[in-house]
Amino acid sequence: MSANAFISNEQLAGLVAAVVASGTRVIAPVTADDGTATYSPINSLAEATLNGALPNPSLKAHFLPPTETLMSWRQHGSDIEIGSPPDSFAPQLVLGARPCDAAAMDIVDSVMNWDYKDELWNARRDATTVISLACPGIDDSCFCTAVGLGPDSSRGADVLLVAVDDGYLAEFATERGAAFLADNAQFFSAAADTAVAQADESRAAARSAVEANLNVDTKRIEQWVGDHFDDEFWLTLGPRCNGCGACAFVCPTCHCFDIADEQSGVGTGVRRRSWDTCQSNVFTVHASGHNPRGDQNARYRQRINHKFYIYPSKFGDALCTGCGRCIRACPAGQDLVEILQTIDGMAANEQEGVA
Amino acid sequence: MSEATTQAVGAQAGHLYQPYLVTVSEIIDETPDTRTLRLKFQDPEVAQSFDFKAGQFGEYSMFGWGESTFCIASPPTRKGYIECSFKASGKVTSALREANVGDTIGFRGPYGNYFPIDEWKGKNILFVAGGIGLAPVRCVIWNVLDRRDEFGDVTIVYGARSVGDLVYKRELEEWAARDDVNLVTTVDPGGETPEWTGKVGFVTPTVEEAAPSAENAVAVICGPPIVIKLTLPALTNMGFSDDAIYTTLENRMKCGVGKCGRCNVGSVYVCKDGPVFTAAAMKALPAEF
Repeated sequence: MSANAFISNEQLAGLVAAVVASGTRVIAPVTADDGTATYSPINSLAEATLNGALPNPSLKAHFLPPTETLMSWRQHGSDIEIGSPPDSFAPQLVLGARPCDAAAMDIVDSVMNWDYKDELWNARRDATTVISLACPGIDDSCFCTAVGLGPDSSRGADVLLVAVDDGYLAEFATERGAAFLADNAQFFSAAADTAVAQADESRAAARSAVEANLNVDTKRIEQWVGDHFDDEFWLTLGPRCNGCGACAFVCPTCHCFDIADEQSGVGTGVRRRSWDTCQSNVFTVHASGHNPRGDQNARYRQRINHKFYIYPSKFGDALCTGCGRCIRACPAGQDLVEILQTIDGMAANEQEGVA
Repeated sequence: MSEATTQAVGAQAGHLYQPYLVTVSEIIDETPDTRTLRLKFQDPEVAQSFDFKAGQFGEYSMFGWGESTFCIASPPTRKGYIECSFKASGKVTSALREANVGDTIGFRGPYGNYFPIDEWKGKNILFVAGGIGLAPVRCVIWNVLDRRDEFGDVTIVYGARSVGDLVYKRELEEWAARDDVNLVTTVDPGGETPEWTGKVGFVTPTVEEAAPSAENAVAVICGPPIVIKLTLPALTNMGFSDDAIYTTLENRMKCGVGKCGRCNVGSVYVCKDGPVFTAAAMKALPAEF
């Protein structure tokens, strides 16, 4: 972490203008007339609303698009000609990423690189500098602190901004972030002690606010989920789930995909990957008709298993950033905060020998 | 985890999801609905260098229809081609069934772990297969027979619903004719024909009847879930330990490389940690396959 640098609102606008002028695409939260927000390209800071609503979809859409071409093919008689996807992307800057979205990039990196390398994911990651903003919009569904992150976590970001009077404090979290700040030093000045104090205070307050929503022991949850595959608890989750997959599509860490071919003409077409969801009844069905996850209880169990047992047992953290989008998006009111509280309670009882 | 080892990341055709181009060089109709394709790599360098181990799988694609997951059914000891056997049951397999000799299809792989054949040197081997479950086992059988001197007794118990449903018929004849292979074939009651000279009965009792010694032996089993479910306890009764019984799981897959998230059973990714598992490793998994 660097000593704090300060950037005023005007200087930030200047920085955005300079980056845009250099030909780098800048992506930031943009609020629509109805108040909803998306991570969209901007030409000037005035187009962005850094402290507006939580953008949907999450930032992952810019790294793992809802659908993308893996390759194209063209038939010439009995021969096939393959067209490859791009192996690099133009540089881009994300400004004002939510910390929960930036952290998700780092979390999904593990899956995309655990031995086979997913070049498309990596090429987009390599092309992108991420500047996140300490969370400006905490609500009842947020629980990032419960999964080891926080509203001011810099995980997955190159630079973290914290809002203070008239501007932002900036700290770099990676070498790329340090280089970005050094390259654009003219827009930054030394932070005043009062600004540093203000930032410290707001960061602490934000953490407390999220901690009040959910406080659980994720190690204990991981253990319980791993040990209780056949627990009756799972039977209580399916009836409330209609399998729509909204939770997976809004989730910044859900990365499961389908691969399918699309003919775009006679003898030519593309192979695509598209977001998929383990909540769909066809996700795991075999050609024979046998389905290892034959009912919604099993499919919802898979969601919790993957996020809080399978991924953690391989990579150490939860496959969840506590952004709360799945809770806000669920049409049936499935509430991950409640579910984690319940599991944590059962795990605690078991630890104490009460169960 | 099973003793089988995960294959290190090997060569790729291009980027991760780009298939090798292969030409259909031969088509064999195994049964009315099951077909084997022999495939040759179009790039001569790949044809030369392509290597895999018995038990590994790949993604086979019909351009315009998509990819489907099968084991490599030919043995690594036969160079210059690979084979896959499949039943036309879905969109991609139905399209693959339409492929003619000379057509180009795609292949990505090899993926996953493999049967640790080198650890079996000097041991007796019992192969048990039901229906099209013979495809992955056939790869191991030929691998073993092509290195026959390195292994002890070879017993093969193979069953199908009916005589018409037996796959690799010409090879069954070949194995039956060898005096260094003990082949027992069986069909379900009612599935026999007047000419049938094999046994009539289910796979499990046929294995019990054949009763090869479990001493210094390993068993390889593949087939429909019911065959595996009933035969595992029978093998246990015969004295095979869970570490000496190997099987291969065939979960639905898309990417084959541990990304797309659909083949896991508990914390195990079948595409990377499998598809080959010992019975001991299988029993440690939640019952979700």
